[in-house]
Amino acid sequence: MLFANKPRTQEFEAAALPHLNDLYRMAARLLGDAARADDVVQDVYYQAWKSFDRFEPGTNCRAWLFKILFHTLNHYRRKWLNVRMVRESEEILENTSAAGPPIPQHITDEDMLRALAEVPQDFRAVVLLVDVEEFSYKETAGILTVPVGTVMSRLSRGRRLLREKLLGVAHSYGIGRTQEGRSA
Amino acid sequence: MTRTQFGEGACDKTRRYLDAYICNELLVETNHEVLRHLEACPACTAEVATRTRLRGRLKSAVQSLAVPPELPALVKERIRSRQSSAWRFLPSLPTVSPASQRWAMAAAAALVLSAGTWMTYPRPLAMPGVGDRPSQANYIQKISASVAGIFKSALSDHIHCAVFRKYPVNPPAIEEMEAKLGPEYQGLLPVVEPVIPPGYRIVLAHQCTYGGRQFIHLTMRKGSEVISLVVARKENGETLAGLTPAEDSHGVPVYRTSTDQYQIAGFESERYLAFVVSSQSGSKNLQLAAALAPNVRRLLS
Repeated sequence: MLFANKPRTQEFEAAALPHLNDLYRMAARLLGDAARADDVVQDVYYQAWKSFDRFEPGTNCRAWLFKILFHTLNHYRRKWLNVRMVRESEEILENTSAAGPPIPQHITDEDMLRALAEVPQDFRAVVLLVDVEEFSYKETAGILTVPVGTVMSRLSRGRRLLREKLLGVAHSYGIGRTQEGRSA
Repeated sequence: MTRTQFGEGACDKTRRYLDAYICNELLVETNHEVLRHLEACPACTAEVATRTRLRGRLKSAVQSLAVPPELPALVKERIRSRQSSAWRFLPSLPTVSPASQRWAMAAAAALVLSAGTWMTYPRPLAMPGVGDRPSQANYIQKISASVAGIFKSALSDHIHCAVFRKYPVNPPAIEEMEAKLGPEYQGLLPVVEPVIPPGYRIVLAHQCTYGGRQFIHLTMRKGSEVISLVVARKENGETLAGLTPAEDSHGVPVYRTSTDQYQIAGFESERYLAFVVSSQSGSKNLQLAAALAPNVRRLLS
């Protein structure tokens, strides 16, 4: 009896732990703080383990964990950060018919991450879920509990903002001005 | 995600669908329309390439963040400690007082937990000794298990040949390294020399074999840090082309992946795969591969 739930724990660890790196990186990018990401990920796994009985084997464990991650992040954001939430007016579908700003040729990981950090959190979350974690629109909508249309508009806006911020980062080094001038 | 016709203002219409197009989220019919337009429109094709490149760079930048090696153990500890605290609610034992039961339970839980911890926690992989070949093979297998097949052999050879090695105080003379590379590959030395990161120098250049595969291997070293350029002939139609490039270096796509401890960046020629493997940051490793890619590829072609 003492060990009655041990096999379940092992089952949980086998299903959930392979996704730990992805969850940690997502938490770190959204919080901008690796130490807090550590705490959040431990919390996510504890919450997931507690509700593992409700998880249906064979369904998408990774998406389920990400959904818990976003619930946990919302809790921590309220606790730690004063995060500006996206206003309804920002949800209007972007007009993406124009080409975005050019991307500097020589960008480092650090440049990319700096630019990403400047993208507002809700847009950043969708860009990370779709472009980095390669979740479908439908899965992303499920994880964030928003309509698919919101995912599409935030993705479009988020990608465009990232390009703009990236150009700003490059300009701060004096890179890309000529290139932008040519393309204008 | 409705079916859309493209006619006048086709570029505008196409670009509204590019976000969904690069995510493969369009309906088949709409996807065909976009593809048809792209075949005839260099501007929209360039926009797709830019967006795809940005996506690839973003992914590799985010994945360059190293995950603390102790995190899996901390997560397991958290779960198991909560599990043990739940044991307090087990049915009471008839002959022992409730207080004693709690103490006994707590002591038993602590004992079981510590034993369980000792037995099951994934301790950081200990680095085997230089002469301990069986443990090295085991270490290499575990480390390389998380990377895609095409990167595995280069990572394995780097660890086998460059990490598990005692280096002499003075590296061999250039003539000796040229002789070990052979006439076909000795041209790599002058190609690598100008882009070696500050503080590093070439300490090894030879042909070696690991896991039944032959490699051309150059190692740069600074103190205890080593960087490998590992080149191998392609086998069984191997190619990196199906992956998303992290960088385009003067027309040569450069790809990357990583484990928690190692960074791997690779490119290819018609007949060869070439990889830079190190424990540097992901961006530095990629930069070096990108600096090497055009000239190394030219040489191998």
